[in-house]
Amino acid sequence: MSSSANEAASRASAVSSMGQTIPTDAEVGHPEGVRWGMVVDLDRCTGCQACVVACQAENNIALNEEQRVLERRAKTWIRIERYWEGEFPNAKARFIPVLCQHCGNAPCETVCPVWATYHNNEGLNVQVYNRCIGTRFCANGCPYSVRYFNFWNPEWPEPMNNQLNPDVTVRTKGIIEKCTFCVQRINRVQVTAKTEGREIRSGEVQPACAQSCPTSALVFCDLNDPESAPAQLAEAEAGRSYTLLEHFGTDPGVIYLKKVDPHAEIHEDEHVHAGAHA
Amino acid sequence: MQYLTALLPRITLKQALILGGASAPPLVGGAGVLAILLYLMAAGGTATPAPEQPIAFDHSVHAGDAAIPCEFCHRGVGSQAAATVPSVEQCMFCHSVVKTDSPQIQLLQAHWDTNTPVNWARVHRVPDHVRFVHAPHIQAGVACETCHGDVASMEEVKQVRSLAMGDCQGCHRENSASLDCATCHK
Ligand code: HEC
Ligand code: HEC
Ligand code: HEC
Ligand code: HEC
Ligand code: HEC
Repeated sequence: MSSSANEAASRASAVSSMGQTIPTDAEVGHPEGVRWGMVVDLDRCTGCQACVVACQAENNIALNEEQRVLERRAKTWIRIERYWEGEFPNAKARFIPVLCQHCGNAPCETVCPVWATYHNNEGLNVQVYNRCIGTRFCANGCPYSVRYFNFWNPEWPEPMNNQLNPDVTVRTKGIIEKCTFCVQRINRVQVTAKTEGREIRSGEVQPACAQSCPTSALVFCDLNDPESAPAQLAEAEAGRSYTLLEHFGTDPGVIYLKKVDPHAEIHEDEHVHAGAHA
Repeated sequence: MQYLTALLPRITLKQALILGGASAPPLVGGAGVLAILLYLMAAGGTATPAPEQPIAFDHSVHAGDAAIPCEFCHRGVGSQAAATVPSVEQCMFCHSVVKTDSPQIQLLQAHWDTNTPVNWARVHRVPDHVRFVHAPHIQAGVACETCHGDVASMEEVKQVRSLAMGDCQGCHRENSASLDCATCHK
């Protein structure tokens, strides 16, 4: 906490080259102390890819043609990583949905020379597309490989160009894009709540991925809200919970739950046997 | 001239006067040119010419003389992002009887008969990467005039306030509204 206070202090007097004062951390954002996050229950994930498709549609993500995939330039703000555990026929498929972890201590933010990516007061790692100049330092700094560069202007064949979401900018060639936790939905709920003169209800904000998950493996929440079911779950299931690449100290806002399989070791022994026999 | 003002950075009239005062003496010969440029820059910042509309709709008659409330026609303004412009049907509440002999109203009538919307030209438009929502502004008690000027006395609506980033942020800072980039950018 003290480090962020220092940072705020050092930014307080920041004046941009255009002579405009850059807002300090205290001035930026809402002070409610929300930290948006997600709890991903890997024991529920079936790897169906519904989240991937929903995200693609919600966020105007360009189509990934075969060529783009082969070039390793496909964009998927959320992707399902598949791992095999064991050898056929005793193999098990394991799935890990990986999206921007909205790290509390994000390596991408500090390397941006133009402050196009920053942390807001609600725990979001924000990408300001119109500010981005495409250095790609952030993508290189991200240990989770969840930042995608636009090598081309996106194109949609007729009639798919008519299904673009007006609440999300279409990103042009030369800039970085990534998961926003569907910030457009968060903003919308915030305005609705304000217009109705009430607080946001627990579970009212649903990003496209969580909304479309048939097994509720992805659950979006305010990690600071003790009432929210997922936050309680993460707490109660502390034995099952971990974060990706914990040892990097990035303080991710995405918490994964996974039961350690007591049989996994036995399988491994079996392989050793099988290997020895062969 | 529209194109020229669009190319130049927008400044206020006051800034133009200060700039002019500071830089004119050394350039007496060029002062005339400079004055014109500064005038154009200031003009670009304070008023953009009104676009031509398909029907000569006059706010000063409706919102002014007839004192129809803004919300009667711009129904979304208090509850959603877009204020919205009224449908032909809403004009016909009155114009099926009011001034039916006027050529302008006959244009309107033609839209009504053919069941086609009027293709009004947009006056205010923030760029695609900006998110503007009317509702919270109206809720917070910001009046239409603050941003749109005295529309009730305008014969044709034109933009009178810059509504560029510095302008939005200036008011947000004064009113302790959000200055987070994610509030206005999408
Ligand atoms: C009788 C219906 C009616 C009433 C009442 C009315 N308007 Fe309008 N307004 C329109 C129509 C139709 C247009 C589109 C044509 C135009 O721009 O002139 C419009 C356009 C506008 C625009 C420009 C929209 C753009 O394209 O950016 C603004 C701003 C506006 N109105 C503000 C107001 C305000 C403020 C009031 C109240 C003082 C008001 N209107 C009352 C019908 C109405
Ligand atoms: C509440 C009633 C009402 C509504 C709704 C209304 N008008 Fe009118 N309109 C009037 C009145 C009253 C006049 C003034 C008539 C006069 O000059 O005698 C007028 C005048 C006009 C004129 C000028 C006609 C002329 O030749 O002088 C136009 C054009 C017009 N309206 C268009 C519209 C359009 C377009 C809409 C829908 C966006 C609309 N009006 C909605 C009441 C209304
Ligand atoms: C804080 C400044 C602000 C206030 C207050 C405001 N507007 Fe606007 N208005 C805008 C901006 C900015 C746009 C352009 C929005 C866009 O491009 O999406 C706009 C657009 C509009 C439009 C055309 C586009 C649309 O949203 O349908 C109308 C009509 C309009 N305003 C009417 C009103 C009326 C009526 C009021 C008062 C009840 C009002 N506005 C108050 C800033 C404001
Ligand atoms: C005249 C003052 C004024 C101007 C000009 C103004 N705003 Fe606002 N804005 C406010 C106020 C007041 C609020 C409400 C804050 C609140 O309710 O906490 C607000 C709220 C907002 C919100 C909703 C924030 C939320 O709670 O999610 C957005 C988005 C916004 N403004 C965008 C803009 C944009 C974009 C512009 C420029 C085109 C602009 N505003 C210009 C005064 C202004
Ligand atoms: C209160 C609303 C508001 C906030 C907060 C805001 N912006 Fe903006 N910004 C705008 C508006 C409106 C424009 C469009 C100005 C225009 O072109 O008329 C804009 C334009 C820009 C542009 C220029 C884009 C272009 O290509 O012309 C950049 C870059 C930008 N904003 C970056 C930022 C960054 C970075 C932050 C956070 C520190 C931020 N903005 C916060 C309203 C806002």
